[in-house]
Amino acid sequence: MLWIAIRMLTGDAQKFYGLLFGIAFSTLLITQQMTIFVNLVQRGASGVFNAPEAEVWVMDPVSRTTDVSYAMPATALDKVRSVPGVEWAVPHLRAVANVRTAEGDLEGVAVIGVDDATLIGLPRRMAQGDKSVLFAPDAVAIDDTGAQRFFPAGASPIGARLELNDQRAVIRGIADAIPSFTSTVVLYTRYSNALNFVPGTRNRLSFVLVGVSEGQTPEQVADRIEAETGLKAKTRDEFAQAGIDFIIENTGIPTNFGITVFLGFVVGVAIVGLTFSLFIRDNIKQFGALKAIGVTNGKIVRMVAAQAGLVGMIGYALGVVGTVLFIYGFSANPFFKGFYIPWQVPLISLVAVVIILAITGLIAIRSVLRTEPAAVFR
Amino acid sequence: MALLPRNLSFSRQLLPVIAVIGMVVAAWYIVGSLPDRTTIAPAEQPPKPVGELANAPRVAGAGIVEPASEVIDIGSALSGLVTDVRVKPGDKVAAGEVLFLVDARAARANLAQATAAIREARAAIVEAETAQRTARQQLALYRSLTDPAAVSRSEVIRAEGEEAAATTRLGLARARLAAAEAAAAASRTEIERLTVRAPIAGEILAVNIHPGEFVATQGGSSQPFIQMGNTDPLHVRIDIDENEAVRVKLGAPAVVSPRGAAELHVTATFVRAEPQVVPKRSLTNSAAERVDVRVLQLIYALPKTDRFRVGQQVDAFIPAKSAPAGGGN
Repeated sequence: MLWIAIRMLTGDAQKFYGLLFGIAFSTLLITQQMTIFVNLVQRGASGVFNAPEAEVWVMDPVSRTTDVSYAMPATALDKVRSVPGVEWAVPHLRAVANVRTAEGDLEGVAVIGVDDATLIGLPRRMAQGDKSVLFAPDAVAIDDTGAQRFFPAGASPIGARLELNDQRAVIRGIADAIPSFTSTVVLYTRYSNALNFVPGTRNRLSFVLVGVSEGQTPEQVADRIEAETGLKAKTRDEFAQAGIDFIIENTGIPTNFGITVFLGFVVGVAIVGLTFSLFIRDNIKQFGALKAIGVTNGKIVRMVAAQAGLVGMIGYALGVVGTVLFIYGFSANPFFKGFYIPWQVPLISLVAVVIILAITGLIAIRSVLRTEPAAVFR
Repeated sequence: MALLPRNLSFSRQLLPVIAVIGMVVAAWYIVGSLPDRTTIAPAEQPPKPVGELANAPRVAGAGIVEPASEVIDIGSALSGLVTDVRVKPGDKVAAGEVLFLVDARAARANLAQATAAIREARAAIVEAETAQRTARQQLALYRSLTDPAAVSRSEVIRAEGEEAAATTRLGLARARLAAAEAAAAASRTEIERLTVRAPIAGEILAVNIHPGEFVATQGGSSQPFIQMGNTDPLHVRIDIDENEAVRVKLGAPAVVSPRGAAELHVTATFVRAEPQVVPKRSLTNSAAERVDVRVLQLIYALPKTDRFRVGQQVDAFIPAKSAPAGGGN
């Protein structure tokens, strides 16, 4: 009986492919836009994700994100180290500076000073060179997207000399980092170098990165640091979320993407709803005939559900595959570097597809359920 | 459709299969490309408290290694050209050992002059003594004569005068000798002052002068000529934030790690706490540095090890009094 429903569906190729297109299009729109949205706002947390060792971030109480921070006196580091449950704590400097390139251009860069001895605070991997290159005098590592922006294609930035606050800086490595929201060029260097590269202000220490002792949770330690030092302490996840929230609060991105996702949903409902209704109305005689030979309404509902299910499955698959191809195809583009499809997003679009099909199916099936077997003779 | 078997339907059979395969591939890609957001352990060990301190109340501080005598900037009593530097960095010297010599030619010339004057004064003494002796013999001869007519009265007066003059000349010559000897002693003292010696036994830490350079006693802004100190034992001066200072358990040993070798944990014994809380000396070498933090300085003695050098920065952990100040848990 269900097979008859499937044959009925695919028999009308035009409407079948129309339905597929509708589902696939709205799936693609919803999945792809949500993926880009999620990745874009997660750029706000890239600074947190680029320091993979830190379990707790300690900052001045007024600091909000990795890029909106207020510096602390140097002894804050010792205060944090004094708190029980802190296994280690290292200084971390984040500041903006102007750099003069060999061509004489002026460019704003972010300077990140990592701990002198341990280099805690560097991204997980280096794209080129080893982390230990930073031990060389005046050495900096540039992030890979920044290197592409800073230097013409094909030219290796290794060994290039920059001028930072009248100091010489030599690029000795390329870090494999997640770009920031603003795609600022990032220079990683040791803390003591960073102090020279960034024009002097009274306090320089932006963050203290903390590792947690065994048997303690980051939340406990963060609470204890806040209680004992009066500074603000956030766990890695909290601080990443703070960066994301900052972008959401301060940009129009959620509205824009929300509108697009909503449009995808509406387009899906419109196309699928119209086509499905037309399809059912075209086949109303067949349904009448089925009713005439004694098929119950429940069976017919199941038949329509099978039709909707097939359309939904194929259309959804095409939409998801389209998104995957899109992300895969653009993965080499620096703007899309690090983009990934969160596993929740396809599930959300699956729910959206189910809702679209449920709404449209229910609208379409009403006429069938009301049909009398005599309709076959009209 | 010729490629397909006759009974196979593209839309009914092939398309669902393609869709399922596509879903599986997409799921595989999505799962495979999820970013790695786990935390990792640091590749190199950062400074951390170990042993009992790891779970006990503690205070952390940064410090600098210094000699037990603190660093002595050797000065020069007199200005002049350096003629000889007798030590090099790393030398162990005893108290009183010569460190460097300042040009002493002028002082030596004065000494030679004074020595000549001494010799002249001695000769004058000998001459005056001879004259005095002759005059006394003459006078004695006249006085021994019993016949008053044998010699005239004026002869006697003349002989008495000669004796008195010789005695006076002798006194003058003696005074001149004393003056010349004093001048020689002054020259010797000056030569000694131009020789710079080690005030204590210790190690030479830096030598910033070379033969031929001018050492000036004025203007103190220049760098010290020679730095030395008693490096056995080495001390470490640990800065504790004033807010934490009340918590420090004074007298307890500290765990010290040099920068860059945090896996090395050395137990240092308490020496003293500086009575004064001072503005934090910044270690960033920036001339424009300003401070608003005051620190308590604690002095600890390091055990004998070759892992520490004077001027090196260290991270230290010190036990705190059991109840942490500032509340909390």
